[in-house]
Amino acid sequence: MLLKVENLQAQIEEKQILKGLNLEVKPGEVHAIMGPNGSGKSTFASVLAGREDYEVTAGSVEFEGQDLLEMDTEDRARKGVFLAFQYPVEIPGVSNKLFMQTAVNAVREEKGLPPFDMFDFDEYAQEKIELLNMRPDLLERSVNVGFSGGEKKRNDIFQMALLEPKLCILDETDSGLDIDALRVVANGVNALRSEERSFIVVTHYQRLLDYIKPDHVHVLYNGRIVKSGGFELVHELEENGYDDIIQQYQGE
Amino acid sequence: MTTLSSSTRENKPLVKKFSPVVKAAMEHYAQLSDDLNKACEHANVVALRQQAKQTFMQQGFPTRRDEDWGYTKLTDFVQTHFRIEGLSQISLGDIQPFLPSYPATRIVMVDGWFSENLSDDLSSLPKGVSVESMNDILDIPESAEKLIGPQAEIEKEPFGILNTMLLSDGYFLQVSRNTAVEIPIFVLHVQTQNQHVSNLRNRIIVEQNAELTLIESYVSLTAGQDEAFSGLTNVVSEIEVAEEARFKQVVFQGQAEKSYYFGNQFVSQGARSMFNTLYAATGSLTSRHQNHLQMNGEHIESTQNSACYASGQQTMDSRTYTEHNQVNGVSRQLHKYVLDGSAVGVFNGMIKVAQAAQKTDGQMDNKNLLLSNTAQMDTKPQLEIYADDVKCSHGSATGQINKDQVFYLQARGITKPQAIRMITEAFLLEPLEEVGNPDIKAWVASSLSQKLNG
Repeated sequence: MLLKVENLQAQIEEKQILKGLNLEVKPGEVHAIMGPNGSGKSTFASVLAGREDYEVTAGSVEFEGQDLLEMDTEDRARKGVFLAFQYPVEIPGVSNKLFMQTAVNAVREEKGLPPFDMFDFDEYAQEKIELLNMRPDLLERSVNVGFSGGEKKRNDIFQMALLEPKLCILDETDSGLDIDALRVVANGVNALRSEERSFIVVTHYQRLLDYIKPDHVHVLYNGRIVKSGGFELVHELEENGYDDIIQQYQGE
Repeated sequence: MTTLSSSTRENKPLVKKFSPVVKAAMEHYAQLSDDLNKACEHANVVALRQQAKQTFMQQGFPTRRDEDWGYTKLTDFVQTHFRIEGLSQISLGDIQPFLPSYPATRIVMVDGWFSENLSDDLSSLPKGVSVESMNDILDIPESAEKLIGPQAEIEKEPFGILNTMLLSDGYFLQVSRNTAVEIPIFVLHVQTQNQHVSNLRNRIIVEQNAELTLIESYVSLTAGQDEAFSGLTNVVSEIEVAEEARFKQVVFQGQAEKSYYFGNQFVSQGARSMFNTLYAATGSLTSRHQNHLQMNGEHIESTQNSACYASGQQTMDSRTYTEHNQVNGVSRQLHKYVLDGSAVGVFNGMIKVAQAAQKTDGQMDNKNLLLSNTAQMDTKPQLEIYADDVKCSHGSATGQINKDQVFYLQARGITKPQAIRMITEAFLLEPLEEVGNPDIKAWVASSLSQKLNG
């Protein structure tokens, strides 16, 4: 088991958002988490990545058998947890190159590998730039500064490709993307799929999932997973919306 | 009982009152001036110092009632009586760590005195460039007009008057017409003696269509000395950038943490000339760097930037006064401060656009990052515009580090302290973008980063 979430409860500013979430992710699996606005999707992604604004009040999260909640954000990242942000942050003056070389070497250190020097890194990054069809001057630019919404999301996928994480969490990466940008992001994700690498794709809409075709689909409502199923659940939701499932759940 | 009418108040010269501590400091420096004069044979130099002494004894050191000095306290400064001694003997090995790795013509000033031994041979400078020691010039009465330029404004600055009163050494640098000096000139100002005044009076003349890059680095040689080492640097530079000339300058102030730095630069620019200056500061307990810039011709460009990092109990003041006096002038300013501990940052900038200076394009920005809850920034950007067709802007923003940025870096495996360092460094180094020479830029960047990450 790569990730085991049990009865996870979390709050922000005294407001309870997650109310007992359970989820198990095996290596190589792709899980989609869908749900209406305010159901707790982004909170779940943020708690997994370790954002300090959220307070975990109960439950546990194990990552490769270790207590994930005890780890600092950077340690989670070093051990292979990656969060693609809903809103990737601009950092003026810090080049993508310096940022990612530092990050890649932090992960390599964790793996007991020697750090990449400038030349090693350039060569390594170049492969990924080609793989994801990124602008060649990407590395020289300041992190996300002056990037369009689509470019920012693609930059996150590029970072994911560089860091080669074990668990990729995509937090509404599809929001605000036009069809071309969406395809690039989806292709990037598909290119990174492997037997060892798992994904949790958090999204409001089905359109990204049509490209990615997740193995498992969960509906999150009111801080809990209220329904799970296979890829067919995506289309059920598309036709009927969340109302049926929510009513069904409230009926219970 | 008598009442004072307002007219008698105006007619009567205002007699400033000083506390006993300030008074004692003023008398100390007046005595230093007298001592210098006793050892001086030249009547004109003696007269200059004496005249300045008279003004100084009336105006004295600024107190907290002087609006311009309200945020830059001199309370500690006036308690130490800095003295003037001769040239101390240090070796090239001593200053080696402060020398740049890029090619440059080296001038070394030790405690304010020109050091012939440590400087490059001034007789073999590139064609069209001349450098003389002010002390040598003082010895030749006929050339004494070289000493003092046309800038009357000096007398309005308390440390300007003090500088004239203690006139001792400095350098006179001239680049003749049409000469483009390819190799930068690097002036190392090194403090070596505790409680000593480095009183520098410099004049820089870049003649028509000439070009010069000048780096000035203020440091302290405190190896083997105790942590209480404190030196005073009081520098006045008069700079003339003639028509079509290009003058690029970097001033780095990284003196010992108990030292003092007061710098006044009086710059006048001719038509179509370019002046680009960067002040980068990490050192001294109290420091204040002031540009007084007059853009006296058409189509002038100027850039004045600062990058200041202060921590502990440091007070760091950088200010600019910029006059646009003719049409089509462009001025750019970016002043950035990173403040930690209980440090105080002070910025004061004034852009004054004369009536004749139509089509002026002036921009002044001040941005500050506070790393602690006890750091303080006092800032006052100002515009005074008498022309009606101009584009001028000024702004200031002070904030703390952006938590979302830190989290973003952490989420990629970078530790929190390292993330904060990367973001802070990037913030502080932005004003260096205007330094054209990549070697010099890298040198300033590493000088700032070293202190930031120390």
